[in-house]
Amino acid sequence: MTKTLSWLFSLLAVATMGLLLGIFIWQSVPVWKHEGWSYLWEKKWYFRQHEFGVMSMVYGTLIVSIIALVLAVPVGWGAAVFTSEYLPRRVRMAVKILIELLAGVPGVIYGLLGILLLRDWVYDTFEAFEPLSGDTLLTAGILLAVMILPTVVTLSDDALRAIPSAQRLAARGLGLTRAETIFSVIIPQAARGLGASVLLALGRAMGETTAVFLVVGRQDNNLPDSWFSLRAWLDSGQTITSKLVSSETNIAYGDSIHWGAMVGLGLILLVMTGAATLVGTFFTRKPHA
Amino acid sequence: MRKFLDAVTALIAFACALLALALLGGLVYVIVQKGGPAISWGFFTEQIRLVGAAGGIFWNLIGTLILLLTAFLASAPIAIALALMERVWLKSETSRSILRTGLYAINGVPSIVFGIFGFIVLVQWCGWGKSWLAGGLILAMVILPTVTVALMERLKAIPAKYVEAAAGLGLSRSQIIWAVLLRQSWGGLITGSLLGLARAAGEVAPIMFTATIFAGAAMPHAIKESPVLSLPYHIFILAQDSFDPGVGSKLWGSALVLLGLVFSLSLAALPTRLRIHEEAHHG
Amino acid sequence: MKPFSFLTALAIASSLVSTAAADTLKINGSTTVNLVVAEAAEILRAENKLDIQVDTQGGSAGGISMLGDGLVQLGMISKHVNEDDKAKYPKVNFVENTIGVDSVAIIVSKDVWDNGVKALSKQQLKDIYEGKVTNWNQVGGTKSQRIAFFNKEPGRGTWEVFVHWVYGGPKLAPQVSFPEVGGNEETRNKVAGTRGAISQLSASWADGKKVFALAMVLEDGKTVDSSNAHIANKTYPLSRPLTVLSNGPATGSAKVMLDFLLSDRGQALLPKHGYMSLKDVGGQKY
Repeated sequence: MTKTLSWLFSLLAVATMGLLLGIFIWQSVPVWKHEGWSYLWEKKWYFRQHEFGVMSMVYGTLIVSIIALVLAVPVGWGAAVFTSEYLPRRVRMAVKILIELLAGVPGVIYGLLGILLLRDWVYDTFEAFEPLSGDTLLTAGILLAVMILPTVVTLSDDALRAIPSAQRLAARGLGLTRAETIFSVIIPQAARGLGASVLLALGRAMGETTAVFLVVGRQDNNLPDSWFSLRAWLDSGQTITSKLVSSETNIAYGDSIHWGAMVGLGLILLVMTGAATLVGTFFTRKPHA
Repeated sequence: MRKFLDAVTALIAFACALLALALLGGLVYVIVQKGGPAISWGFFTEQIRLVGAAGGIFWNLIGTLILLLTAFLASAPIAIALALMERVWLKSETSRSILRTGLYAINGVPSIVFGIFGFIVLVQWCGWGKSWLAGGLILAMVILPTVTVALMERLKAIPAKYVEAAAGLGLSRSQIIWAVLLRQSWGGLITGSLLGLARAAGEVAPIMFTATIFAGAAMPHAIKESPVLSLPYHIFILAQDSFDPGVGSKLWGSALVLLGLVFSLSLAALPTRLRIHEEAHHG
Repeated sequence: MKPFSFLTALAIASSLVSTAAADTLKINGSTTVNLVVAEAAEILRAENKLDIQVDTQGGSAGGISMLGDGLVQLGMISKHVNEDDKAKYPKVNFVENTIGVDSVAIIVSKDVWDNGVKALSKQQLKDIYEGKVTNWNQVGGTKSQRIAFFNKEPGRGTWEVFVHWVYGGPKLAPQVSFPEVGGNEETRNKVAGTRGAISQLSASWADGKKVFALAMVLEDGKTVDSSNAHIANKTYPLSRPLTVLSNGPATGSAKVMLDFLLSDRGQALLPKHGYMSLKDVGGQKY
């Protein structure tokens, strides 16, 4: 009986996830038929003309996530080195708990703070570059950086702590300073775990919705001349998630191509976050575990 | 020189940790300072009036609690089943590892994807319209990996001698599961659920198309067409559409209450987590 | 135990499906109309013990589509139902019950106002919308100042009224991609906080402190502002009806709501939120 129930409920879970993936593929079929591969490469999204190209949203999603990583990863690694290598165990737990509280703060509250504080700060600070408004990819990226920081800290701290204390003692015994121990003994061994923290944080950043929606500006078709232009970070943009919670989701339902294009965005997001998460999870696995 | 680099490293690491903590402190300070004045007894017991400019958030709070409770009840049996699969029923390490990887993959699915899935399947195909149950089930999907992994870890920590002793008493495998494994690990279920719910409580994306509306919903009487109000959606709407200056303080008050709820859920999970942590170090 | 209690719960739950709440009045749509309807709903909930749910998902377009799909009994819209809407729901008999009148203002931030831009013509708006004009000094500003256009997101009644006036309809409008704004407060907040900003907004939200409503230069050269007098004599071109939409004539609790909105007490809610009541406009059609 217990075994049967276990199987039953587990299969229910597997079936639901299978259904989810199936629905996102199946419901996006109309747009693939309508646009073909240009759905992925086309730069223009004009739903009234039934022109659907996701490039500018993929760009937006990648740029805000990269900004978030550039800001959050160094700070997160630094904080993790501090908690794992410098703090006594009990204090370390306390600090970790506080940082994990930060992870629990809802996106909508970050969004509210973004509207109130961050938007004006970005607008004024970067005035020299003449941003058109305070709603920029950079604003969204900074907000995301704060949101993913706890993920980076916690996972990196776990990775660093997984290195046995004996190695620290041995290295110190050889006359290495604490910093030298960290850089030449601990970090090289924890590299996989530290890398995993980046990928899992990337997955989280790409999927975050509410906060980004409120500060990114929601401007369609805003691709820069060069993918590597930093000035373009001070433009408004659109991410996959900000599109998916916008009013277009309500409008699209009932028009199979437009709806397919929206669901297709969800599918692309699923592939992007899924890849980051799975590779990240693969990284965390110790070779002999 | 080496001493100097050593000190610089320590200083930089310290500054990073301090920055992370300062962000938390600053965030809490701003929310408390702006939301504090709105908090009163009536804020919790009255319903919204004047499109959010007056009254309180009673039904928003109740709605959020209904969603969370539903998510907990719906995810618990699935999480138990999956955890038992991994610890007891699956024999090969490969299939266990696939199961674990699958859970991490689910954990990585953006919540808006779950929201749209719920909109297609529950709201449209099942014809439920916006419903508390649709929202609860979708949030259950959001928290499922967290709950399951916490439970697995707890199951793993049960000393083998307990199981051996139970087997020695002639208990069947089913009996061992109920009397030993699940009895010893329910703390993991609760901890995982609290952590998961702390995340779910503030989510807008999974419930905005499936479960929640701005005004007028109270206690749901049915499933179909029975939406609830909720705290995060309330904040999301007011942030874009507050007319009256009076809305401002109510908006921040709602944010403060939501933050309080989320922190309470995280902190409630703490004692069990600390105990597990202690056992891991001394046991 | 847990799995069993869950199954039991599921059984109870599925039996509840059949007894779906039928007597609830559900309303969705425009945030502009919502201010009036939500307050009316509060009164009717208290006085008539009606069960009324109000939501604002997707703005006017959300109101039309949810009424079309039969998910709500009343849709709130701040524009007219157009041919495309009707084509999408051929089986639905859209009845526009107008409860008041509002106008769409073209609003600018304080620095634009101070720069001397107080009025625009249709052609100037067109040029700005199409990106041919990007500096305020090309349309009457004394100083050079970049134009930051915030466009109302698709589906918003405000946007549709705007493009209907400038281009004759949503499909005729050129495809442009500006930063988008949704709700009225979001619009006001962003325009107020951005230098050189312009957007479309319900005139009642243009407070003259944070954001300023431009007057329109008409084709005969006359300049009209969005004052009530100019809406009532129809010289201001961007007026629009505030409408509660029903499928066929409203019945039951939907009719109670509609009757209340058209009663003296209901009509008094319109000026309270900055709109014009039907009496204010002498019962004219918009």
